[in-house]
Amino acid sequence: MAEHSCLVVEDSPMMRQLLVFALARIKHLSVTEAEDGVDGLRKLAERRFDLIITDINMPIMDGLKLVSRIRSDEVHKDVPIIIITTEGSAEDRQRAMALGANAYITKPIQAPQVIAQVKQLLEK
Amino acid sequence: MTEHEHTDDDDRPNSSEGRERRASDVPPDTLRERQSFVRTFVRKGMQYTDELLQENDDLRAEIAELREEVGQLRSQVASDDAIRDLLRTVERLETERRELLERSRNLEATHREEEGRHEEIEREVSDLANLYVASHQLHTSLSVPRVVQHLHDMLGQLVGASSFMIYVLDEQRTHAVPVASEAVPADYHREVNLENHRVGDACLTGLPKVREPAGERPGSLDDPIAIIPFLADGRVVGVASVFRLLPQKSDWAEVDLELFKLLGAQAGAALIAANLYQRVASPTEALRGIPSAVETG
Repeated sequence: MAEHSCLVVEDSPMMRQLLVFALARIKHLSVTEAEDGVDGLRKLAERRFDLIITDINMPIMDGLKLVSRIRSDEVHKDVPIIIITTEGSAEDRQRAMALGANAYITKPIQAPQVIAQVKQLLEK
Repeated sequence: MTEHEHTDDDDRPNSSEGRERRASDVPPDTLRERQSFVRTFVRKGMQYTDELLQENDDLRAEIAELREEVGQLRSQVASDDAIRDLLRTVERLETERRELLERSRNLEATHREEEGRHEEIEREVSDLANLYVASHQLHTSLSVPRVVQHLHDMLGQLVGASSFMIYVLDEQRTHAVPVASEAVPADYHREVNLENHRVGDACLTGLPKVREPAGERPGSLDDPIAIIPFLADGRVVGVASVFRLLPQKSDWAEVDLELFKLLGAQAGAALIAANLYQRVASPTEALRGIPSAVETG
């Protein structure tokens, strides 16, 4: 029985599968996938998640807009968000954190890093 | 004896004379001598007695002192025994402490080794997952744009290349024709003549050319930091050129070289399969001829 739930919002099927693979190694965590920001909002409207992982560069609605929308959503405004992106500059990181992200991981991702970050935020 | 005491001779009757001899009958000189002797004798006796008593007292005191010393020595010996016992205990405990410290150090070393091994295994699992996902995505796509997108994702998101181009070779295999790119100057979007070009050299051998370290200086169209030829049926059918890595990535990781091998071995086949599949109307049509092909070998 899953105790925690996580939504992964990523447009690249390869990255999505890689994240799902990594998250599958965390016990009692169920993972839901979304292809972009809009799909992510749709999934968020259906149920509450304990953690959200999102890419920034996505078609239709990018990750930063999604973070803003989540932070203004009554149900999910306090849910921890991890940003995963190729953008590694300090400005990008500050921008994401200012919008309300809780953690920032740059690509190429390392599964142990993602697992550690997810566990840390779920324990909080 | 006192001066008033008498000797036996004094009181004995003198039978020959028939009358008792009295002290007053002794000549005065002899009497005085006797008395002097007696006094001297008595004085000496008293003196000896006093000396004996004194000596006795001294001996008693000495015995008391000796007893006290013996008592002290006994307690000292007992105390020394206790100290020796304590020292033995301290020594034993010290030995145990050393053994425990040694065991603790060994355990810490084992723990560190295990942690290192655990991290190594985690990294290997992560690398294998990358390779599996890359291969899986390449071969589950039968659409050319999707296969090209997967190749793009492999280079951009798994390897961490920030600038690259993906080509397929023309039918004459003299030129590389661009099919996808990321963050390259506009003049890079042209066919590359493989003759006398580094990309052509890699296509000739079919082996990836990887510059190490990668982050030393950015690559260019004529001098990429990595060239990965795609093979199919032993021949090069496409190639990827990488010009730069993401700023957060300073050099290649071990898994990148494995990904290049995977690209080299599988990208060509995936592109060909997807391209051929586009020419048929359905999956079953794409399977047409397989039974006879198996029969004829």
